[in-house]
Amino acid sequence: MLKRRIVFVAGKGGTGKTTIAAAICLLAARNGKEVLGVEVDAKGDLSTALGSHGANFKAAVVQPGVSVLGLHAEEAFQEYLHLYFKVPRLARMTPLSRVFDFIATAVPGPRDMLVTGKIAFEERRRDDNKRPVWDLIVVDCSSSGHVLAQLRAARAMLELIRGGLIRGQIEWIDSVITDSRRTTAVLTSLPEEMPVVETIELRRDIASQGTVHVSMCVLNRMPPEPLPAASRRVLADLTTADEPVRARLPGAARIGADLELGARLHRSAQAQARQLRASIGVPVVQVPVAAARTGLATTRAVAVALSDAIEARR
Amino acid sequence: MSAHRPAAPDVAAMDERLVAELQHLDVIICCGSGGVGKTTVSAALGLAIAQRTDQRVLVLTVDPARRLATALGLREIGTEPVRVSRARLRRAGIEVEGELVAAMLDMKSTFDRLVTRMAPTRRDAKRILDNRFYKGISDSFIGSHEYMAMEALYELHTAGEYDTLIIDTPPSRNALDFLEAPNRLTDFVGTKMLSWLSGPTLFGMRAVNLAATPFLRMADRLLGADVLSEVAEFVADLQKIYGGVQQRARDVYRLLRSPQVGFVVVSTLEPAPFAEAEYFTARLHEYRMPLRGVVVNRTLPESLRDRTALATAQALADDAGLPAWLSTRVGHRVAPDSVRAIGDRWLHFHAMAERDARQLSRLERLGDAPVVRIPLFGEDVSELQGLARIAALL
Repeated sequence: MLKRRIVFVAGKGGTGKTTIAAAICLLAARNGKEVLGVEVDAKGDLSTALGSHGANFKAAVVQPGVSVLGLHAEEAFQEYLHLYFKVPRLARMTPLSRVFDFIATAVPGPRDMLVTGKIAFEERRRDDNKRPVWDLIVVDCSSSGHVLAQLRAARAMLELIRGGLIRGQIEWIDSVITDSRRTTAVLTSLPEEMPVVETIELRRDIASQGTVHVSMCVLNRMPPEPLPAASRRVLADLTTADEPVRARLPGAARIGADLELGARLHRSAQAQARQLRASIGVPVVQVPVAAARTGLATTRAVAVALSDAIEARR
Repeated sequence: MSAHRPAAPDVAAMDERLVAELQHLDVIICCGSGGVGKTTVSAALGLAIAQRTDQRVLVLTVDPARRLATALGLREIGTEPVRVSRARLRRAGIEVEGELVAAMLDMKSTFDRLVTRMAPTRRDAKRILDNRFYKGISDSFIGSHEYMAMEALYELHTAGEYDTLIIDTPPSRNALDFLEAPNRLTDFVGTKMLSWLSGPTLFGMRAVNLAATPFLRMADRLLGADVLSEVAEFVADLQKIYGGVQQRARDVYRLLRSPQVGFVVVSTLEPAPFAEAEYFTARLHEYRMPLRGVVVNRTLPESLRDRTALATAQALADDAGLPAWLSTRVGHRVAPDSVRAIGDRWLHFHAMAERDARQLSRLERLGDAPVVRIPLFGEDVSELQGLARIAALL
């Protein structure tokens, strides 16, 4: 995954996409890479997960080796016009933004394509020494099924626009997205029934689109393993023990009942994980549930867990 | 840390309140982020109302309807309403007084009907429906799913076939999309925005002089020869339905603000959906649309915050002398690791429950609507029995 140039992190809302994307950024930076995190919905969540806040269209450094960029289709459009048509970058180019708004609303293709276009453009950026500016670009995709439209946007536009200058550029964007040596996707899921079903569907839809390569699936928030047998025996001893034990450890029975719920959660999660593994067709790595809120500390913990899980698979 | 219990809402007192509050409404709109169990809660609400009243309840969901079908024990749900039969419910040990019906929202045909109804002539309607940009709009116009949900709701409400309509809103990127959808659609087909594109004020004259301005020349070079003029043509057609759409949007907003309608916000205590729920609630207030209840799904049991259990867990995790003492009490060796593991594991769940409780205490800021918590059952709720367990809590 880290050997490629672009990683799309995609999955249903609430599956922890942003945290996983942030964790991948940290892992790559730790391996000495210069990383760009791209936030497609630009709410600033990716920056938050990386211990900073807010995300602008101009990339800003948030951690050593990690910069974050918030994608706004309109700004991408203006940048595009500026680059290719020498149109001055104005805050409000009224007629132009109106046409853009209309077309982008009627046919979301252009909006989505500007997103992938900007990503492809960043991939191609070189510094003065002709070195890539970014070693890895990690994209925190927008939620749910929309990512499919985004990945397919360039191709959809090719059907709509048969001529014009833009066609060659769209073909180029499509070639970057579909190049499996350069670009891959990581899917995120949760060990619950619907997320698993939907992840399997997403994987299948991406495959039938033939757009982006999928390298792995991260199963996020796995409940902790149930207690080892020795601990369960101790727990049984505690609940049946004599009065002094019960007096010193009065909460033992309650703890036993709570941990029984924990074991049930784990069993149900395991069953979902098996279901996912059986049908997804790409490696599945598990990341444990984090007890803290989203933020840099959680991202760091998830990065460690993710790297351990990936190592363990080797 | 646990000595202070944030003032969690008094759940017991509220148990009966949600359905009692909702059952008199004509329309219940369930909203919240994706993945919080909105569909399940919608179905459970429908079941609870059908169990406790003699009403005819329709639960309307958006594509994909699989979650609703699973919850109701049906193989599939199409765009035609399906009744959950008494016999099926009885087999699951559920008696209903009313009637429970489920259907999936048919997005495309709702949009087509709207266009057909609003267009001045059949030819105008056909030209719009055949336009290739139209397909783009009706499929993926931002907010179109949300708008169509509202439109279908309006149609169904007007038809008056059901006593209660429960709609499970589409999983939006932004929960606001559907509050703003009617306006957005109005703006979209609105005359102001693009009238310049469809030519001078002369109606019916659609010729766009593409050479007229450098900008249009550039746009034409960018997009290819015919795209812009096709857009212009489409805009001109759309403007013919503007008046009708605007009127309809006003009617939809009026319905959403009427006393027969109530919103139920569904959330889990995960930070992201919870923040979304808070934001959404604030906006509902701003739009003067009534919040009638909050359902907090998948909460951890309160026992995980029990102080006695906490003290015991801390002793198990930290008290170095405990294993040896225990060994003498139970008469065989108790390994320190095994003892510590019990304490650590419980403390891990305890930390999550504390986080949940802090989130819950913020619920008070959401206003005075009844709050219902649905505990984590430890297995996915599917089929009718699971649904009935949730319905009993509402």
